[in-house]
Amino acid sequence: MNHGDNTAGGLLTGRRLVKAHGRTEALRGATVTLDAGEILAVTGPSGSGKSTLAHCLSGITRPDAGSVTYAGRRLEELPEKRLSELRRTEFGVVFQFGQLIPELTAADNVALPLMLAGAGRAEARATAGEWLERFGVRGQEDSRPGELSGGQAQRVALARALVTGPRVVFADEPTGALDSLAGEQVMTALVHTVRETGTAVLLITHDAQVAAYADREVRLCDGVAAPQGAAA
Amino acid sequence: MTASLLSDLRLAWQLTRGAGRREWWRTGLTATGAALATGFALAAGALASLRGGHHSDSLAGGLLGEPGTRAGVILALLLLLVPVLGFLGQCARIGAVHRDRRLAGLRLAGATPGQVRRIAALETGLACLLGSAVATAVTVPVLVGAWERPPALTWVVLALIALAVPVLGAAAGALALRRVVASPLGWVRRVGPARPGRGPGRLFLAALLLVAGVALLAAVTASGTPRGPSLWRTPMTVFGALLAVGAGSVWLSGAACRLVGRTLAVRARSAATLIAAERLRDDPWAAARTHAAVLLVTVAGTGFVSVRHIVTEALREDRHRLAESVSYYTTGLDLTGAAIAVGLLITLSALAVGTAESLAVRRSGLAAQVAAGVPRAVLVRALLLETALPLAPALLVAGVGGLAIGAGYSSLTASGALPWSALLVPLTVYAACLLASATALPLLRRTVRPSELRHT
Repeated sequence: MNHGDNTAGGLLTGRRLVKAHGRTEALRGATVTLDAGEILAVTGPSGSGKSTLAHCLSGITRPDAGSVTYAGRRLEELPEKRLSELRRTEFGVVFQFGQLIPELTAADNVALPLMLAGAGRAEARATAGEWLERFGVRGQEDSRPGELSGGQAQRVALARALVTGPRVVFADEPTGALDSLAGEQVMTALVHTVRETGTAVLLITHDAQVAAYADREVRLCDGVAAPQGAAA
Repeated sequence: MTASLLSDLRLAWQLTRGAGRREWWRTGLTATGAALATGFALAAGALASLRGGHHSDSLAGGLLGEPGTRAGVILALLLLLVPVLGFLGQCARIGAVHRDRRLAGLRLAGATPGQVRRIAALETGLACLLGSAVATAVTVPVLVGAWERPPALTWVVLALIALAVPVLGAAAGALALRRVVASPLGWVRRVGPARPGRGPGRLFLAALLLVAGVALLAAVTASGTPRGPSLWRTPMTVFGALLAVGAGSVWLSGAACRLVGRTLAVRARSAATLIAAERLRDDPWAAARTHAAVLLVTVAGTGFVSVRHIVTEALREDRHRLAESVSYYTTGLDLTGAAIAVGLLITLSALAVGTAESLAVRRSGLAAQVAAGVPRAVLVRALLLETALPLAPALLVAGVGGLAIGAGYSSLTASGALPWSALLVPLTVYAACLLASATALPLLRRTVRPSELRHT
């Protein structure tokens, strides 16, 4: 378990990040570090800048000021194409909902990142099947997202985020649209798997019960990170 | 009842006035479609109200002066309504998500399901009324200028058409919502038909039965009173044939989409093909009406180019033995070509609008794909493939069909070789369709911005 501020030497570090959406300043100098293999919860009230922080750290959005360093590379110096490739190969992304392509089956959704990386369809589907089994949704390979329960769909989304073997997973309110039992199942599956694979997780949540799964917690308030400490 | 309708109308007007940018696009495009439909129908109606062959109309190289050629012009104008209707169908899809939210909001505020449908139908009716008014205001002075004293019947026909367009628009709006269920709890869902695609298939069979019935009745009655049935036989046959061709092409387009989607979904090796094929398989009827219009325009275009080639060759050879001047025939051909070009333009607009709307509806999902690292190039390819894959076999069939028309005409006139250059028409239409879909690509770039993730 890791305690306190340690911006030096982390796997992923955002320093003094500033980002405005129009006139609203979502981030006002937030500094956060994620170490390899750790689960870091970013908590805070609505509008505190949690999602914007995740978007900046994952290279989805470029910050107006400040820097993001991943494994020694400055993300702001990478072109969009390289950032996209980074998100596809070394990062995994899970949102509250909407990340699965509704027309594709569960297996094809999970196989998609592998196909984009150049794998053949059959090979990609076989690997996808293994990951679906790992997340307890084996037997739903040919179901479309609309035919799955919310919890099943999120576990398929987790399988898709982890299938390429990323080093970091960004989970933005992954249980936000689920009931408490389904949320618990999703978090248990996520934590169990990332502990096995050594994947680091940046967990965006406003739910204290979800944050309790993390090794460490950072609280954002008005776009600034409060001192970091151990999660409950 | 009247008070309730007035109150609904007032509410529909308020909603239209307070609508956002996307709703204004829908209203503007619907009004444009209604104006085109009204314009074509008014022109057809005015020509149909003419009687006899004594009109010294100098318009269109004298084609409007004779009943026979005038009937051809009327038919061409009525056929132009087909792509316009396809365009209006696509316009109805613009802003569907926002409209659904509004419907749910109305239910939440206490509106009954019937009231919600009526208000939405009146909104469409108001847009059509605007288009109809503009078209009438343009057509009437043109008519008065070109035609000194139009008979009373003409004015009656024009008034009926100008009023019918908004009424039909409102009815179509209500019909489009027949499968939409808006709940007072704030959600809207669509109840799909038990077997999508059955409607066009049934309509096609019904139209075939109608044509067969007319032919049978004509055969039976012809032996007794040879001149009797001609009054109803021609309009009924034309109506049945148009219905059969329209419904048949919609059914064929949907079936082609489904077949292509099913076939490619299991064989797709690339991500873009997989996404496109699964979308086609999931909802093959989404673009069926527009694709049907593309199909019909291609058949007409290929057939026209073939026939035009044969006719102009014949005119060149028989120049000195013609009853009318060459321009009489070439003007007719040019007008037909212009009508087909207008039809193609309207169809391409419908295709562009439909593609843009499908992106707008999926914008949060697409933004999530890009956030997860799916390259934009893959989404661009998938978008273009959604148009390219089903249209390739459909346009091949349409090209062959059009060429068959040319071959048939060639055999009737015992003229020379078939103009194979007509096969350039389906290729040109195919390229134009891809370009029309590509006009939505700037929207795709905007759609996948990170700010769209906030809508997830």
